[in-house]
Amino acid sequence: MDFEPQYTPEQEEFRQEVKAWMKENMPPGIVHPADPIDLTEEQYQLRREFGRRLGAKGWLWSTSATEYGGGGLDVDHAIVLEEEAEAAGLTIPPFYDSGGRLGGASIVVWGTEEQKKFFLPPIFTGEVRTWQLLSEPEAGSDLANVKSTAVKDGDDYIINGQKVYVGSSLGCDYMWTLTVTDTEAKRHENLGWFMIDATLPGITVQPMDLLISGGESGAGSGVKNTVFFDNVRVPAFNLIGGHNQGWKVATTHLELEHGTGGRISRNPVVDRLFDYCRTTNRRGQPVSKDEDAREKLIDVHIEQEIVRLFQLRNYWMRHSGISTTYEGPQASYMRKTLGLKMSRHILDILGPASLTFDPELGASEGHMEAHSRAGIVAIHPGGTTDIQKVIMSRRIGIGREVREQAGALG
Amino acid sequence: MADSYFPEEKMDLSLTPEQEMLKTAVRSFVQQEYPKETLLQIASPTEPTPEEPWEQLINTGWLGILIPTEYGGEGGSFTDAGVLFEELGRGPVPGPHISSAVLAALTLLEGGTEDQKLEWLPRMATGEVRMVAAITEEDFGWLESDVHLTAEQTGGRLTINGNKSYVFDGETATHLLCAVRSADSNDVGLVIVPADGVGITIRHLPGFAWNQSAIEMVDVAADSINIIGESFAGGWAALERAELKTIPVLCAYQVGGSQAVYELSVDYSRTRHQFGTPIGRFQRVQDQVINLLNALDAARWTAYEALWKLDIGRDSVDSVHLAKTVASEGYYEACNFAHEVHAGVGSMTEYGLTLHTAASRTLYNYLGDPKFHRRRLADALGL
Repeated sequence: MDFEPQYTPEQEEFRQEVKAWMKENMPPGIVHPADPIDLTEEQYQLRREFGRRLGAKGWLWSTSATEYGGGGLDVDHAIVLEEEAEAAGLTIPPFYDSGGRLGGASIVVWGTEEQKKFFLPPIFTGEVRTWQLLSEPEAGSDLANVKSTAVKDGDDYIINGQKVYVGSSLGCDYMWTLTVTDTEAKRHENLGWFMIDATLPGITVQPMDLLISGGESGAGSGVKNTVFFDNVRVPAFNLIGGHNQGWKVATTHLELEHGTGGRISRNPVVDRLFDYCRTTNRRGQPVSKDEDAREKLIDVHIEQEIVRLFQLRNYWMRHSGISTTYEGPQASYMRKTLGLKMSRHILDILGPASLTFDPELGASEGHMEAHSRAGIVAIHPGGTTDIQKVIMSRRIGIGREVREQAGALG
Repeated sequence: MADSYFPEEKMDLSLTPEQEMLKTAVRSFVQQEYPKETLLQIASPTEPTPEEPWEQLINTGWLGILIPTEYGGEGGSFTDAGVLFEELGRGPVPGPHISSAVLAALTLLEGGTEDQKLEWLPRMATGEVRMVAAITEEDFGWLESDVHLTAEQTGGRLTINGNKSYVFDGETATHLLCAVRSADSNDVGLVIVPADGVGITIRHLPGFAWNQSAIEMVDVAADSINIIGESFAGGWAALERAELKTIPVLCAYQVGGSQAVYELSVDYSRTRHQFGTPIGRFQRVQDQVINLLNALDAARWTAYEALWKLDIGRDSVDSVHLAKTVASEGYYEACNFAHEVHAGVGSMTEYGLTLHTAASRTLYNYLGDPKFHRRRLADALGL
């Protein structure tokens, strides 16, 4: 066994190349608001510019195929890139984007060659940002119950309906979505998966007022929107995977969203909490020396380590081509329950300082206040904790007669 | 995914082919030599313990897995030992193995003189000597300050007086590796004492306790050449270093036990019908199985990461404390979840689940309970 990438001399050489390149190409002035709702247009554009530069270099979606604009690199490179971005307080991509990891992955698996050549390069080179449009007022945990429709009309589809909890602040270039393509067909055999130009007439984006829409290191969404489709005419070319085949396409990004992709980075909120407790004095000693605080910090550490190891395992399985069953939703479940529990521990340790981002009386530049809200909200995106357990049960062969298989990841 | 142009040294969480072979071999050995009926017989307070399975286990040579080849062992890695003991934990196959061939052997390796290693380790590797570490006393704790058993030294002779309590595997020992306090220097060191010596009484602790004993020592004579390292000073430190290496192996054993109760629970929730359907269709039952699986996997990956760190010589202190906390709580909880799934059937001795339930309770405390390790973990993290 080997729990970390062993850095070969070649990798260290690559790291030096990445460091030097990032120093040269990372636009100056990038800052990280605690609540991504405070991300300004100017800050967003700095991140997009950095994304395009990464994309031109093949480092934005470094493991995607070069023929579609990806980097064609392997997991060892991806790890170095992610680590170096993390060292600069960023993620890759450095802004909220559902394109490469989720939508792009579905197109890679289910698109025709022509579709891949058309849709993937702009995503993988950072020219476009895309949003996912999945939930609807009547389709949350039961995503297959979507009611929006796409009706075939000559060479086009006409889309009508409403999507909720969508995207971020500051707009997007493409939207991908799941709609009913056949009102007569059976559940799961009645859907279409579309990649839609966000500038088409008939699309309205309306921000929602939510407790928070979080995210890490500036890649958070900040805002979620309601998106209305009013007779939006979309070319049939933009239908991925075929007529009534949308559910199959969705299983790929749902699998990834449920945590099967795995990750290797740490949760920065945990590090901030520990730093704060080590360096802030209360009643003459660091907060971390208080017995009650120590117990809670250790609780957080233990669960964070478990989440880290589950995500590491999934990352390894994904990049070694080992097929998963329950592992994705398990990591998602553990990560979400930790987040919620952590907001409780932060409340216990910091008291009312955890509930304000007041510069004098708040804590850790508002990051603790933001997590106090984000820990609650983060339990639902990509499936609630209860849904993760339902999926796990099916995958271990107790929830249904026939054991459910994981979605295809390509 | 493109081919790597860094072909070697990838992150890899799989076992080596040799470890996979070992795993398969141990699993079939346990199925054959330690079937449920045999384990129940060993656990029974009234039936005689069969000798045959233990003889067979000794003959495999596996128990010397962590003893270097120059001392007659297999010279395996910590991960190898993890694989072996995970499979033994599935039984759960009772010791003395972790208490002797791992903890006592590693203590000798950490603190013993070359002569002591040559004298004892080869016989421990073959199972001829079952040297069990006797550390804890009435107050139950793993701190140096908890040790009150006293050794008085007169020339080359030692006289030992006091008690050891809650000694895991004490009854099956041929020798006891006793933590003792020197009457002269107050140093806490370690002395090897034959378990059948005059003045030693070993009493089995009845009840839910699993292979635990109370040991009384009245004017027990020992030889000062059997003081580990030939000095009381430094003995306790050697034991603590050995404990930090033993714990991840013990965690792997707890993982094996948790894996076994997970498989029992999945199987039962698929085959047991109530209200006309397998009980696994009920989400309340699924919750129990999923919680069990989460506890199992958490224990598995924290244990194997600690074993890996030991193998590559990385600072592993925080990982060890983490692993023991997670594995002790995990095995304990895993058994509780399994009982929730099984209801009445799980409480029937003949079903076999309670073998694990009993083991999970005693191992919860053995080599430090979660509270102890959480505190040590906080220290290790500089909190």
